[in-house]
Amino acid sequence: MGIFQKLVSFLGINKKEVNILVVGLNNSGKSTIVNHFKDGENKTHEIVPTVGFHIEKFENKNLSFTAFDMSGHGRYRDLWEHYYEDCHGIIFVIDSTDTFRLIVVKDELDTLLQHPHIRNKKIPLLFFANKIDCPNALSSVKIAASLGLERIMDKPWHISCSNAITGHGLHEGVEWLTQEVRQIVATKKY
Amino acid sequence: MSSFKRDKKEEEDGGGNPFQNIEKTAVLQEARVFNENLINARKCTQILTKILYLLNQGEQLGSTEATEVFFAMTKLFQSKDVILRRMVYLGIKELSSVANDVIIVTSSLTKDMTGKEDLYRAAAIRALCSITDATMLQAIERYMKQAIVDKNPAVSSAALVSSLHMTKIAYDVIKRWVNEAQEAVNSDNVMVQYHALGVLYHIRKSDRLAVTKLVAKLTRMSLKSPYAVCLLIRIACKLLEEEDTANDSSLFDFIESCLRHKSEMVTYEAAHAIVNLRKTTSHELVPAISVLQLFCSSPKPALRFAAVRTLNQVAISHPAAVTACNLDLENLITDSNRSIATLAITTLLKTGAESSVDRLMKQIATFVSEISDEFKVVVVQAIRALALKFPRKHSVLMNFLSAMLRDEGGLEYKASIADTIITMIEDNPEAKEAGLAHLCEFIEDCEHTSLAVKILHLLGKEGPRTKQPSRYIRFIYNRVILENPTVRAAAVSAMSQFGALCPDLLENILVLLARCQMDTDDEVRDRATYYSHILKQKDQGLYESYILQPLQISIPCLERSLREYLEAPSDTPFDIKSVPLATVPTEEEKQATVQKTEGILTIGPSKPIPVSREENYTERLSTLPGIQTLGPLFKSSEIIELTESETEYVVRCVKHCYTKHMVLQFDCINTLNDVLLENVRIQLDPSEGYIILSEIPCSKLPYNELASSYVILQMPEDLPSCFGTFGAVLKFIVKDCDPTTGLPETDNGYDDEYILENLEITLGDHIQRLHKINWAAAWEAAAARGYIEMEDTYSLSSTNTLEEAVKNIVQFLGLQPQERTDIVLEGKTTHTLLLAGVFRGGIEVLVRTKLALADGITMQLTVRSPDSDIAELIISAVG
Ligand SMILES: Nc1nc2c(ncn2[C@@H]2O[C@H](COP(=O)(O)OP(=O)(O)OP(=O)(O)O)[C@@H](O)[C@H]2O)c(=O)[nH]1
Ligand SMILES: [Mg+2]
Repeated sequence: MGIFQKLVSFLGINKKEVNILVVGLNNSGKSTIVNHFKDGENKTHEIVPTVGFHIEKFENKNLSFTAFDMSGHGRYRDLWEHYYEDCHGIIFVIDSTDTFRLIVVKDELDTLLQHPHIRNKKIPLLFFANKIDCPNALSSVKIAASLGLERIMDKPWHISCSNAITGHGLHEGVEWLTQEVRQIVATKKY
Repeated sequence: MSSFKRDKKEEEDGGGNPFQNIEKTAVLQEARVFNENLINARKCTQILTKILYLLNQGEQLGSTEATEVFFAMTKLFQSKDVILRRMVYLGIKELSSVANDVIIVTSSLTKDMTGKEDLYRAAAIRALCSITDATMLQAIERYMKQAIVDKNPAVSSAALVSSLHMTKIAYDVIKRWVNEAQEAVNSDNVMVQYHALGVLYHIRKSDRLAVTKLVAKLTRMSLKSPYAVCLLIRIACKLLEEEDTANDSSLFDFIESCLRHKSEMVTYEAAHAIVNLRKTTSHELVPAISVLQLFCSSPKPALRFAAVRTLNQVAISHPAAVTACNLDLENLITDSNRSIATLAITTLLKTGAESSVDRLMKQIATFVSEISDEFKVVVVQAIRALALKFPRKHSVLMNFLSAMLRDEGGLEYKASIADTIITMIEDNPEAKEAGLAHLCEFIEDCEHTSLAVKILHLLGKEGPRTKQPSRYIRFIYNRVILENPTVRAAAVSAMSQFGALCPDLLENILVLLARCQMDTDDEVRDRATYYSHILKQKDQGLYESYILQPLQISIPCLERSLREYLEAPSDTPFDIKSVPLATVPTEEEKQATVQKTEGILTIGPSKPIPVSREENYTERLSTLPGIQTLGPLFKSSEIIELTESETEYVVRCVKHCYTKHMVLQFDCINTLNDVLLENVRIQLDPSEGYIILSEIPCSKLPYNELASSYVILQMPEDLPSCFGTFGAVLKFIVKDCDPTTGLPETDNGYDDEYILENLEITLGDHIQRLHKINWAAAWEAAAARGYIEMEDTYSLSSTNTLEEAVKNIVQFLGLQPQERTDIVLEGKTTHTLLLAGVFRGGIEVLVRTKLALADGITMQLTVRSPDSDIAELIISAVG
């Protein structure tokens, strides 16, 4: 069965299901980003702060994504870890205008990277420097530097500027993620 | 027990419960597949079913286990399978109270409740409300309001019922949904209308006026839903019962009109309501009874059952009305439904003549083995009522009961039989010996420890006073040989009673107790040692205090006092006299608890833990400055109204009596929504000798909130001056305020006052009622211990019947009637009332009054008390 499955998935006939975790501080734009990928009719018109999490599904290039959109509110950040174990990729959203809390972002990121379920795994990390449309937004280079992303050696990572409201930059990022995940899935026996 | 039987039956059937052999750890292990990223909906549904099954069987999950399963389950939200999703909702509800961080699913559930899939919405609401606490409720408030008025009836009902449940945790939030609930009451759907009415009533139920308005409006609009009408009938009844003046007949008219409703459910509810109303006259009863009578011959068993059950319940209060249905009831005694037959027979027993007892008992004996325990209890209760009514029938009844005792049956059933026998023994001296013999036989083979203990206690109490006490010793001692430690210990205590009361048995008892000192159990040995030591002293006074009279103090208070003593160690030894006495609940208090449990729409646990009034108050009073120096709270009075009903301000008073002080607690409510009262205090004009030590005002009294103000007084040394009348005036500063926000409009208020009714300090306020196990022995021992005795004779001109005289004396003296002497047998012209109590400071008071009826009532009153001032006080207070 293993061989057959792999062949099928290689040919892209059977859509692969992958789990993606979407994290980041509250108000950074996670739910807005996830909403952007949904089909027209399933889109939510009004986005409210998430309580806990919710699950959304969307597709990209024959890869079927199950996105766990987590709440970024302080009270719920401890709950992210319940969903680390079986995720294939992480989208980490940063509000580029919120310079004040960059240090909190770094803290949360470090905690995430240290977690036993993440530490030794080659999970791709996609960073969105979101709200780039706002006048006082920091550049992605500045953000990468202040989060110390260059230290991440054992995982593929990528940072994109984005505007979740227009969708600018989102596809580029997810394109990269799809590529990475596809590779990993292909090498693993699912 | 019954589930055990069922399992066994299924085994025999060969069929099987597929979940029978599942095991918790294995299922939790299986639940790990929830985490897999390809979800097999069928498999997951099965595993969830197993988890729910286990939980329903009473299996407990630890919070770590529960949390783990819960989070695994949250991942199932990615599946679109409808059945699986609905199982997840059920899982969330079951685990919401054990697992941690359950709010994690809030957004997922709000999404489902507002989404397009109708199959999800109602169930998602219920799950959402089960995980939401008061702080989170605000976040979902908007969705809940929308759901209440949703077009889909299932959604609307789910939202309404969930709101009702949440009034427990967040009444103030739910209160804001009144407009939505109001709109839902107009729904065409019968369930939505019913649930909406439930919510509306709950929101308003503390505000009598609002409820009255609601009922008035709805009774006029003729609700479509029969369920809603039934609820409305219940609410109307509650209003009627509360109403002090029966001037509003529209409520009763409404209920009566429901007797002609087209739905049987409603007609039954109305009939049931009318016969159960306390104030129904026999005239008003007639149409209701006719409805029930009609139902008695209905082809539907449910209606026959409902009717006969209702008749059974009111057979005692309205015997005449029920007798009108005798013919119909006779037809039901052979009903193929045993429950109906049982109820019919027991109803007839309650109302029938003495002559029909034998016939009916025979009839019931033919099938008593076929009915369930629950109905056997009904039979036992009927027998108890009969025994009280026809004391001469005791031997038939006793034989029947003892046969029932020998049958199979659960604890509740056996306990009700034993209780009935005990009541018969206590009430009817002729039944005593036979009753004790039956109970002795029963404990030979009794599997219920609690019952065996109870009966042994009774044997110890009653046995020594029978003609031949020695015959009981064998039964009791057998328990010491054959039973578990709890029963053995009870047996030791029972034997020692015989030792203390029957001198000629003492030597034998001492031998038996010596054997018990070799027991393997600590408690049994301790008791045996304790009792033999006291019995060897051969001193009646010691027997009385340490064997015959048990500890009379309140156990919860003792526990608290000991804890306080240990927390603040001091050189003075612990004084058991500082512990408040256990109070005997009054008849009204007992009634009140019964009524409460029968109340309508009770949510949550309905059985309050019984604590005495004093225990309740002690905690509240302990925060008052200066209260610690007063010593323990001795007695708290009942609540006294100091204002007429329906006035601007409501003031109620509770008198707390301490050893030398009186603390008056004034509970105030301000019923005006446009004013705020500040610095609310009571200006007292105490009777002579009382000194006001301090006044504790209440700083703020907003609209419709209860707040208390206190006055601490020192009582006069001279006892007779302790009783008197206090004038009282409520004083306060008024500030006008905005009714919607409750905030004052200006900073300046003005002083105002409000005259209250006078407050009486009576003898009863200083006396705590006390129950003596054996009054005669206590009375004799009092003489032996050198108590002062005083006696006087009075003629009571204002009372005409013995019942009335007894009632007045008990109330006036505030003492506890003993050995049921507060019940005057019908047709008697003389009566002896025995009373006991404790005066503040721990001074015992025993009173015997002999009453004779002849052109008015003559009363001879004898007091025994260690303190002559108190004895004299009682004598002079009555005069
Ligand atoms: N100007 C601008 N606003 C954005 C952008 N992305 C999101 N927002 C806004 O930011 C706010 C927060 O967005 P959400 O998607 O709710 O943020 P979140 O990360 O899901 O927040 P939590 O669920 O509370 O953790 C919303 O008002 C969005 O409209 C962006 O790229 N540009
Ligand atoms: Mg969000």
